[in-house]
Amino acid sequence: MSEDERKSDYTWRNPLAAWDAKGGNHEAPSIRVPDPRSIWDENQAYKVPLYKVGRLKHFHIWSAHGDRPWNRMRWWPTRRYPLHIKGLYNRKTLKAEKKILDRRPIYWAICLIFLAIAPLFFPDSMRNTLLTAGATFGIFAAINVCWTLILGTASIFSLASYAVVGSAAFITSYLSINYGLPWFYLPGIGLALGFIMGGVIAAPALRLDGFYYALLTLGLNELCRVFFTTSKAFGSASGGLYGGSTYISDSWSPEVQSLAAYYGPYLLLLASLLLFRFIAGKRLGRILRMAPEKREAFAEACGVDYKRARVTIFLVSSGALGFIGGFYAAHYSGVGFSIFTFDTVLLGLAMLAIGGIGRAEGAVLGTLVVVALDQVLIEWGPIRHFMIGAIMLFAVLFLNQGFFGIKKQFNAWRDKKRGEWRSSRSEKGGEALPEEATEIEDKDAIYHRRFDKMQRDYLKRLVCPEVIEEHRRKPLGQHSEALERLLLYFRRAPMDDKYALHRAGPDGPYKIIAFAGARGVAPRVVEDREYETVEEAYHGVFMRRVHDLLES
Amino acid sequence: MDISFILVNAVVVACIYGLVAVAISITWSSLGLINLGYGFVFSFAGFGAYLFDRMVSDSPILVASAGILTGAVGGLIICLLVFIPLHDKPNFTTRGMIATLAISLIGSQALLMHFGPRPKNLPELFGYWQVKLGDVVVTSDKIGVVVCSIVMLAVVVFWMRGSRRGLEIRAMMMNPHAASIVGIGVRSTGFYVMAMTGAMAGLAAVLLSQTYYIGPFSGITPLIKGVSIALLGGLGSVQGAVIAAVILGFTEALTSRFLGGQYVLMTQFLLIITILIIRPRGISGLLDKAREQ
Repeated sequence: MSEDERKSDYTWRNPLAAWDAKGGNHEAPSIRVPDPRSIWDENQAYKVPLYKVGRLKHFHIWSAHGDRPWNRMRWWPTRRYPLHIKGLYNRKTLKAEKKILDRRPIYWAICLIFLAIAPLFFPDSMRNTLLTAGATFGIFAAINVCWTLILGTASIFSLASYAVVGSAAFITSYLSINYGLPWFYLPGIGLALGFIMGGVIAAPALRLDGFYYALLTLGLNELCRVFFTTSKAFGSASGGLYGGSTYISDSWSPEVQSLAAYYGPYLLLLASLLLFRFIAGKRLGRILRMAPEKREAFAEACGVDYKRARVTIFLVSSGALGFIGGFYAAHYSGVGFSIFTFDTVLLGLAMLAIGGIGRAEGAVLGTLVVVALDQVLIEWGPIRHFMIGAIMLFAVLFLNQGFFGIKKQFNAWRDKKRGEWRSSRSEKGGEALPEEATEIEDKDAIYHRRFDKMQRDYLKRLVCPEVIEEHRRKPLGQHSEALERLLLYFRRAPMDDKYALHRAGPDGPYKIIAFAGARGVAPRVVEDREYETVEEAYHGVFMRRVHDLLES
Repeated sequence: MDISFILVNAVVVACIYGLVAVAISITWSSLGLINLGYGFVFSFAGFGAYLFDRMVSDSPILVASAGILTGAVGGLIICLLVFIPLHDKPNFTTRGMIATLAISLIGSQALLMHFGPRPKNLPELFGYWQVKLGDVVVTSDKIGVVVCSIVMLAVVVFWMRGSRRGLEIRAMMMNPHAASIVGIGVRSTGFYVMAMTGAMAGLAAVLLSQTYYIGPFSGITPLIKGVSIALLGGLGSVQGAVIAAVILGFTEALTSRFLGGQYVLMTQFLLIITILIIRPRGISGLLDKAREQ
């Protein structure tokens, strides 16, 4: 409404004045009431960008057999399910349905089966390269899975994993070459060596802080490198120890040999994944999820012996790393010094950082990426390592938890942005926002809020000095249309925080109070001001309500 | 081998590695960044000095300054690529460490691609003269290395004590959060710290090239030695790093005199582990006032 219209000398006359009605003004200067439909049209008008509303359907819902919706497969003889499935009823059709909550076992099975049959699809021109790369991938993925147990599950930042593998490989190769040990002893001896080394390395881990320990283990790796490369017994002259016993027999055809060299490490990878599953997914893993870094004190107070759990995992993983070292020696019939170099540790860390530290799938994917770059694209030359470094830097700079953390990070970012948009569009007392609306079960409430908002917008336009003056003169009785509309709205307010008058004596004074809205709870006094007459008090309440309306 | 000769060598090597250790220590305590990219900065500065020597001038002071300057530039590169984007992200310490390792990988490969694997050497910066101290003959390069590193360390310590920037860096060491509240820019301090520590690594590279060669991967050993010294001395403590450098230098000298060269790292690490088990934050690292991040 324009100012001119508001100031027009419109005078409202009481239609009941002819009958000499009691109460109420006979006539009062007021305003013309705008058409209530105008605010509806304004609200309906297309003037804001439309936002997509609702939730994406993340899960495929499978139909279930209606008679036995809770029937699931179990791993014999345990009570565990192969898949985490939730049974539910469709809210519209009331049909029984099921939802696979954790689909990772399916993806793992697909990927592992693919790796198992991959040699069938290798092109002939690259067959040997790919088989060799597959063998390297298997061994390094197994090492990284064990390493991620130490780094992620046990949160011990040890960089000495390759030192354990290398030492076990060197010692078992030495035993195999000099004492003629057959290949099947080597992983077992490696296991024992890994346990011993793990015990030695674990001792400082209990005392030292994470990063002191990381730097110390980096030094230990260098120590092993220098010790083995300068020691004559371990082949300082020939660049490593070669010629030990191996499980790949010379009597087989070259084709069978390379296939055996592919499937041996594949089985090793399966074994290490099983180890990961049995440590991280069971009691020890749960204990340590309870005691993440910096919350150890809380976990300890809850009775969790996290130190023991960490050292146990460290020892078991070191044993597994030693086993892998022994397998390494049995696979390559020896070992070179390259396993100890700083670059190997760097590449290993790159593998973990790309996939995300602390997840088996991260370790395997990172290994796949790095080995593919390093061994398959060999004709690219030194630029390969450059690219690995660039991918690693990218992963560390932009991804909080490596590749497999992207989903979580993206969701967090989207929620943040959503909150920002929401706050930029929200008004105090406004209608429900589209995003919020999907979360409100009672849709009537949304419509009520929406209608209420429109009504308040409309009523705000009616508040003017003339109307207030009219009410001050006669709070009761017939009023002009504008004032009447306001009063009708105010009377309809819900009981909680509704204003009322408290009379102190038989003839006043009056005070404004507000109901608590709950049975048995006394109303609160709104202000200390006392009104002498009831008319003044009525007007005081009216003014407060007008004030609240304009504030909303 | 003569014990005094070994001792002199130990002091010389300790001086060079001590520079790297102090650089690592200052970076950790003021920025909370475990910078394992000094290996790259080291080689980068070495190649910078080498290129300057080949292309511009072979004046010893200019070559050394070129090395120091390229070292500072290397430090700034790490600051720009790692510290600035990461310092306010979750898990900064782990990610920072991995990112500096990535820089080290990328940088070494880039140097390898550009300069090839053949080692390069710098001219003799300190001339050819020698001094007799009692019955020990000390050559010019050794005296030069010791003097240069002590001068550099003294300059750094005085700068940190006496200048406005040094005050900012020390404030960051004490409490980074409070420092940023009173108006000390975390990022600008990061630039000073990384440039200064990079310059120290650059000087170390120039000095070490008097004894060894410059190669794309020649920074790894100084890095690991520096890390060990910084660990033993207590991350964040300059005095600790100096003491640790001397202790490790003497251990090295005594081990190679009485046990043999290949046991040097073993005795050193046994010593480090023993001291760290007794004092988990190093010789002069404070137990309860360690940087929490």
